[in-house]
Amino acid sequence: MVTIFGVPAAALYGQLLVGLINGSFYALLSLGLAVIFGMLNVINVAHGAMYMLGAFAAWFLLHMFGISYWWALGLAPIAVALVGVVIERTTLRRVAHLDHLYGFLLTLGLAMVIEGLFRYWYGSSGQPYAIPSALAGGIKLPFMFLPIYRVWVVVVSLVVCLATWLVIERTHIGAHLRAATENAVLSQAFGLNVPLLVTLTYAGGVALAGLAGVLAAPIYQVSPLMGSNLIIVVFAVVVVGGMGSILGSIVTGYLLGIVEGMTRVYYPEASSIVIFVIMVVVLMLRPAGLFGREKDSAANASPPIGATQATGMDDKWAAIGALGVVAALIAAPALVYPVFLMKLMCFALFAAAFNLLIGFVGLLSFGHAAFFGSGAYIAAYAAKVWHLDPLLCVLAGTATGAVLGLLFGALAIRRSGIYFAMITLALAQMVYFIALQAPFTGGEDGIQDVPRGMLFGVLDLQHPVAMYGFVMAVFVVGMAVLWRVVRSPFGQVLKAIRENEARAISLGYDVQRFKLKAFVISAALAGAAGGTKALVFQLASLTDVTWQMSGDVVLMTLMGGIGTMLGPVVGAAVVVSLENALAGLEFPITVLIGAIFIACVLLFRRGIVGEVQQWFARLSRVSN
Amino acid sequence: MPVSGLSSMRGNPAGDERGDAPAVMLKATSLTKRFGGFTALDRFDLSVRQGAIHALIGPNGAGKTTAFNLLTKFHEPSEGHIVFDGEDVTALRPAAVSRKGLVRSFQISATFLQLTVLENVRIALQRRAGLADQFWRSDRVLTTLDARARALLADVNLDGFAGRLAVDLSYGRRRALELATTIALDPKMLLLDEPMAGLGHEDIQAIVALVRKVAVGRTVLMVEHNLSVVSDLCDTITVLQHGKVIAEGGYAAIAGDARVREAYLGTEAA
Repeated sequence: MVTIFGVPAAALYGQLLVGLINGSFYALLSLGLAVIFGMLNVINVAHGAMYMLGAFAAWFLLHMFGISYWWALGLAPIAVALVGVVIERTTLRRVAHLDHLYGFLLTLGLAMVIEGLFRYWYGSSGQPYAIPSALAGGIKLPFMFLPIYRVWVVVVSLVVCLATWLVIERTHIGAHLRAATENAVLSQAFGLNVPLLVTLTYAGGVALAGLAGVLAAPIYQVSPLMGSNLIIVVFAVVVVGGMGSILGSIVTGYLLGIVEGMTRVYYPEASSIVIFVIMVVVLMLRPAGLFGREKDSAANASPPIGATQATGMDDKWAAIGALGVVAALIAAPALVYPVFLMKLMCFALFAAAFNLLIGFVGLLSFGHAAFFGSGAYIAAYAAKVWHLDPLLCVLAGTATGAVLGLLFGALAIRRSGIYFAMITLALAQMVYFIALQAPFTGGEDGIQDVPRGMLFGVLDLQHPVAMYGFVMAVFVVGMAVLWRVVRSPFGQVLKAIRENEARAISLGYDVQRFKLKAFVISAALAGAAGGTKALVFQLASLTDVTWQMSGDVVLMTLMGGIGTMLGPVVGAAVVVSLENALAGLEFPITVLIGAIFIACVLLFRRGIVGEVQQWFARLSRVSN
Repeated sequence: MPVSGLSSMRGNPAGDERGDAPAVMLKATSLTKRFGGFTALDRFDLSVRQGAIHALIGPNGAGKTTAFNLLTKFHEPSEGHIVFDGEDVTALRPAAVSRKGLVRSFQISATFLQLTVLENVRIALQRRAGLADQFWRSDRVLTTLDARARALLADVNLDGFAGRLAVDLSYGRRRALELATTIALDPKMLLLDEPMAGLGHEDIQAIVALVRKVAVGRTVLMVEHNLSVVSDLCDTITVLQHGKVIAEGGYAAIAGDARVREAYLGTEAA
């Protein structure tokens, strides 16, 4: 048997082919993302859902109408494109004038609704889709068995990618597209129908994802969640390639697919994270991406996220509010189930920590679950294996969050805006895979039966009242820290950076250092919240590090009111209550959460607390 | 004792201990910026004397703002060197350039819109007062900067607006606020990018007076399209076209230069 570096040649070629297949999907998806981003300035988080829709469309066509694969290759992308038209016309268009992050959140909500519904209808397990007979079987080469369908996928993807590139770079339509991308207002003045072009671009971009879905259907099973994990890898691909170049995203897609395949041969444990590791290296060496253009440091024209709020309430009201919250927390266990209240406090602190970044620095971190979850794992481990004092366990969780925050932050602040969100998401996904595989995290089981321990060796936290008091103390101290940070000389500089980063630089501030510091504080408190949660539920599990958890905390903050002190607390209360109330129902909670996301982005960007503040402000203006 | 904030505390304007000729405050040598295949600025040489009010003019797209972005390191030059106050600053980051005393303004007025007028000026004062990094102290400590901030605001006639949000100010007043914020750093040199852009006639008079006032004891380099302002304020003018310097000198010399007329008016007028 022929071996290459100690690996049988057949296995090597086999993985090379798998790598090329994955690379094809990365290329098709990142190409669509790049085209959409170029025109709409939106990172289409729903891209994974569109890929899934493409696969399902092929499956429906076959099983309901008996329409073959060959027709589906054309019809399914068209169907997905039509969905895209509806999405663009009804929702995306309405956030076009806002910070790009709103487009990110909106498409995230759409992805949650679409994927949640399909999961509700079809379950998590996949539906098989047979390889069309003309492409079944394989060719026996001297060194390996070559399945025809896989070759077909690679060839079709390559042809479609290159054709798309040619259309954009070499044709009349492409010229219009590039003109509108460069300067939409001017192009409109010259008679281009820019709104139509925007719709068609979005439809075209998602159609590419739909096509990828059809191609994938016979290889992977047709499943509702096939796109949701893929999309995060594609984000990493996009960060590595840089979205400035169409050809660049194609090349990067194939390249990373092959690298991933080779890793599976030589070091299988790392294959799920290798793309993320490459992303980290590229960010350190060439932050703009392999094919990225030098970015303009000019300030963003749209108002930053979180900047709609006035500077805040006065101290008297703040003190009254704080006392009210503490009084309510002391009285609440008489009326509400204490474990629920403790859960709520953990998530409220988590959301408030997250809000420090989005509300006061204008940074959307989409990886905060990594800090929360790692804090939970370390605290649980410290309690169960090291038998540490519960306070030390929570502090260990806090320290873990801080260290991880320093690492994430140092990498992510090299890019701003939407890239920052994608990088934090990708880094957090890496932490997820590590948690899945590392020996001490307990894999799918997590760390169970975590002892709550004796506080200072005397107070048994197994007692509900003692535990409640402990959690409340952590919550109040955490909130007080956040309050101090926001209302400090440092907090004042953060607000200035949020308002106008370029101006802050020109006044001599190293804004990166300030952002990093805020990031570490936020991550540390998220770790504290996670550590406390692990003691409350006596469990640290994979749920705590999923991207859905990161999404939850974004939603809590958005819903409660970005940039307000009380908003994240209120948002956490609403979301946790909803999750509790719906836990018994069959209806998937993600659909509801996604729908709320969409509603918040489209209708209530100020959030609950923000709307109330606005209402009071209007009242006082009228009475003046 | 309300200190007047505007004039420099450095004293000895335009002086040079070695001789009669004023020292060079800012010197750019062969500064070049290429974006892909496009050369936005081509071997740009500039020498600004200490104490001068120097104008950088030229038609749209001539490379004026690019020059500013390079001089303040907001963009990385493809080639060339920048020496400021006798020190090579080519390798510094933009915030560090600012801390050396070379502070820029922006074409679109740059204020912190959701902060109050007083807070805007205080942000600039905070760094020099060492009150920027403390996240554990109450922001009440910042009131120690209020007297100085109010004096600066009084100098730009904004003393009545201290408690307003910057977003509620008129465009002209935002320009004044921006100037007060810049002066709060007590810079050695100011780079003003079209300080009169978007202003009405009366506002222009006010800002011209302010620029003249803040220029005492400092060096100013400004990009400006309004040539009557330039002739009024500036002692030296550098004209850029297509990324290259085509003329330099006093207003009269520049106004009479055939190449400059051609650049502005097209070939027919030459």
